[in-house]
Amino acid sequence: MNDMTPTREQRSAALEGMGCKRKRVEDIRFTQGKGNYVDDVKLPGMLHGDFVRSPHAHARVKKIDDTEALKVPGVLAVITAETLKTVNLAWMPTLAGDVQMVLADGKVLFQNQEVAFVVATDRYAADDGINKVVVEYEQLTPLIDPFKAMDADAPVLREDLAGKTSGAHGPRKHHNHIFEWTVGDKELTDAAFNKAEVTIKEMISYHRTHPSPLETCQCVCSFDKIKGELTIYGTFQAPHVIRTVVSLIAKLPEQKIHVIAPDIGGGFGNKVGAYPGYICAAVASIVTGKPVKWVEDRIENLTATSFARDYHMTTEIAATREGKVTGLRVHVLADHGAFDACADPSKWPAGFFNIVTGSYDFPTAHLSVDGIYTNKAPGGVAYRCSFRVTEAAYCIERAMDILAQKLDMDPAELRLKNFIKPEQFPYHSALGWEYDSGDYATAMKKAMESTKYAELRKEQAVKRAAFKRGETREIMGIGVSFFTEIVGAGPSKNCDILGIAMFDSCEIRMHPTGAGIARMGTKSQGQGHETTWAQIIATEIGIPADNIMVEEGNTDTAPYGLGTYGSRSTPVAGAAIAMAARKIKAKAQMIAAYKLEVHEDDLEFDIDGFRVKGLPEKFMSMKDICWVAYNSVPPGMEPGLEAVSYYDPPNMTYPFGAYICVMDIDVDTGVYKVRRFHALDDCGTRINPMIIEGQVHGGLTEAFAIAMGQEIRYDAEGNVVTGSFMDFFMPTAVETPHWETDFTVTPSPHHPIGAKGVGESPNVGGVPAFSNAVNDAFSFLGSTHIQMPHDYWRNWKAAKELGAVA
Amino acid sequence: MQMNDSQRIPASREKVWAALNDPDVLRRCIPGCESLEKTAPHEMTATVIFKVGPIKATFGGKVTLSDLDPPNGYRISGEGAGGVAGYAKGGATVTLTAEGPDVTILTYEVDAQIGGKLAQLGGRLIDSTAKKLAGQFFESFGEVVGSAAVA
Repeated sequence: MNDMTPTREQRSAALEGMGCKRKRVEDIRFTQGKGNYVDDVKLPGMLHGDFVRSPHAHARVKKIDDTEALKVPGVLAVITAETLKTVNLAWMPTLAGDVQMVLADGKVLFQNQEVAFVVATDRYAADDGINKVVVEYEQLTPLIDPFKAMDADAPVLREDLAGKTSGAHGPRKHHNHIFEWTVGDKELTDAAFNKAEVTIKEMISYHRTHPSPLETCQCVCSFDKIKGELTIYGTFQAPHVIRTVVSLIAKLPEQKIHVIAPDIGGGFGNKVGAYPGYICAAVASIVTGKPVKWVEDRIENLTATSFARDYHMTTEIAATREGKVTGLRVHVLADHGAFDACADPSKWPAGFFNIVTGSYDFPTAHLSVDGIYTNKAPGGVAYRCSFRVTEAAYCIERAMDILAQKLDMDPAELRLKNFIKPEQFPYHSALGWEYDSGDYATAMKKAMESTKYAELRKEQAVKRAAFKRGETREIMGIGVSFFTEIVGAGPSKNCDILGIAMFDSCEIRMHPTGAGIARMGTKSQGQGHETTWAQIIATEIGIPADNIMVEEGNTDTAPYGLGTYGSRSTPVAGAAIAMAARKIKAKAQMIAAYKLEVHEDDLEFDIDGFRVKGLPEKFMSMKDICWVAYNSVPPGMEPGLEAVSYYDPPNMTYPFGAYICVMDIDVDTGVYKVRRFHALDDCGTRINPMIIEGQVHGGLTEAFAIAMGQEIRYDAEGNVVTGSFMDFFMPTAVETPHWETDFTVTPSPHHPIGAKGVGESPNVGGVPAFSNAVNDAFSFLGSTHIQMPHDYWRNWKAAKELGAVA
Repeated sequence: MQMNDSQRIPASREKVWAALNDPDVLRRCIPGCESLEKTAPHEMTATVIFKVGPIKATFGGKVTLSDLDPPNGYRISGEGAGGVAGYAKGGATVTLTAEGPDVTILTYEVDAQIGGKLAQLGGRLIDSTAKKLAGQFFESFGEVVGSAAVA
């Protein structure tokens, strides 16, 4: 060895493996405006399609007249449900086992529903064509209020389901009923309530909102008549699922469908589903023989493609006087809109909402969910959360605060008293999950110390007294939230989408010079996969992350995978990467043993190569092994160094965290100021702390948006009154508070690298922290629960109703 | 959305009633009215340019007169479609009271519903716009009828 020999630390640092704050490699192109998004795809002769949409929430379509539209220069075709019927595509299956109109067939069931698709030589001509399509409607009574959906005299929305007494998830109780889903022991839970010393009951609504990615949903479909092949460029979070679904509904052989998801500008669940735009663009391409592009505008995105939430949760907790919880009972009225197009694993009509027992040791619980139809857009996607997990976390975290208020106990203390203890893991929850790991009390206490929680409460008491004396018009709220997520869908024993098991995959191919490519079944929409996946491989096999290229999104080259949503990429695909890398490492070890003339068992892996145990100078680097793997393999061994892994996780992962929000609200104006927001996350092993921090910032910003104003609101006629960023709250840097972050590390015991997933935790934990802060601020004035979103006007209204404002 | 107001017109109740049934007068008074034609004794078709916030659209629709109680009042209602801009429907119940031989008090109660893109983008402007338009209509109506009476 000489002075130039790198130290172990230097060798390790050169890899930029797990734990390194590696800069995002994709940002090189993104920050220079060189990303390649769907709208950048411009094919020769490409046409443009756009929709005629319904102004009505509920109406019969009497007549569609396209005569004048077809006279508009550049307009080539107007596609209606009648056109689609000739290819049997007027309706399409949804991921939730329902069917959905592609184009209005006889009726429209929500405002801005797709009625006709105008195809033209450019987008302007298509728009002019839309203005000339005359649609005659007969208005019907709209059903907007979900609580009236199952009234005896409620209008019949889905005439296609007439006489069907059962749906994809069992019996239907009413013509607007979709399913009832129950979990838990009703008898035991009722008994717990009957003998409870203290109970609380509250209807907690989680309003309808929208993922609203900055890039809307879009595609370019190109059908090659000669080859009989369909190529689809699209904003797809799950490209392989799209290929399989297209193959099944369009009856095209799967190998003749090429789905390509280029760079995606945010998904947040909005880009999981299949939308009429995709079907219409594909049909238009088949009809015209030319590529057809469809790009949603902002209003279309907010009003027609998948919304999120809209859960109305009647929640009850039974407890002892000392504050020990003894039972949980929840009924959810789930507003699914006009079609059940939720993107959940197929057997889970309400997603994983049965994580609603949260981080607490409930001896018994019972949950029932009624899904219903209304005249609103379909959807119900997991907006930056695992399936219905943010609804569940909001439900239990609000309810715990309400219980604390009733018991006159500090909400943090109540949580500490009821946490599942570290020694109880793996923990079987009353609603059927097996929590893999956790150390909740440590995380909660750490967050309380960091924020000087006890002092905050003292300050609050002083301020409240001052308010009552009339010395200030400002009230202070402290929002505590402790969430447990359930992510990483999922084990094939309980997770599939339309029968496709929810594994994920990775294929790694090393090149002779010590570089390689990893292809994945996932699809980044901004998460930084190209950066982090390479870091896992770097640590696993000792090749620098910079030498590993990560490729996703092309179904012809990527191994089959279920895509990216529900924080599943790291728990599932991250595991597949480690497993594929370990296969490569195993072959590399055999090669090194041969070259170093020792038995494999005499070798140990040392950062970036194999070393003979006890003989530190006998070392072979992975870089050299790559060369040998191709050019001078041991006798009898196949050349090459590549591996594929399809990973079916044995369990979900359960990230958790403790969030504390401090907020001041001016009662006379309702204006709030987020003074502090402290987020402590435990996502197990941390792959790239910088990316984790970025993920937490993004998720908290979306949580802030949702809790404080972001809403898809309908008026009584079914008009969407928040259809643009004028009215739909999209926080910018101006409104966004400062975020403080912290972490603990409790690795997942069943995941190859112990990672749990983090992208969505901040949304799941953030929303209850904000809402609890607002509710905590108002609680001393006599309120128990104020519904979200907590915008200035609603805060002012709450203050007025509580008598704090004249 | 609902609202009501009244207008004092310097003309006899009979004259005001006649004007209320005269398509030509209505055409001149409905804000943005491009055409108004009688198709049946109490029915007319109309084309109206309507503007709310960022949306401007031409609405085609029909106007119906009902609950006729000459010369005490009637209900005038209309509904129209503005293509991609959406739809609008509504009406006004109009009551005429004689204050003197040449002075009539016209009281109106207006209700209106707006849907589609108009409601999505112009939501926060609809109430004020509808109020303004109804006010404009009855103001011009008062002027037209009043000046005709003077002449």
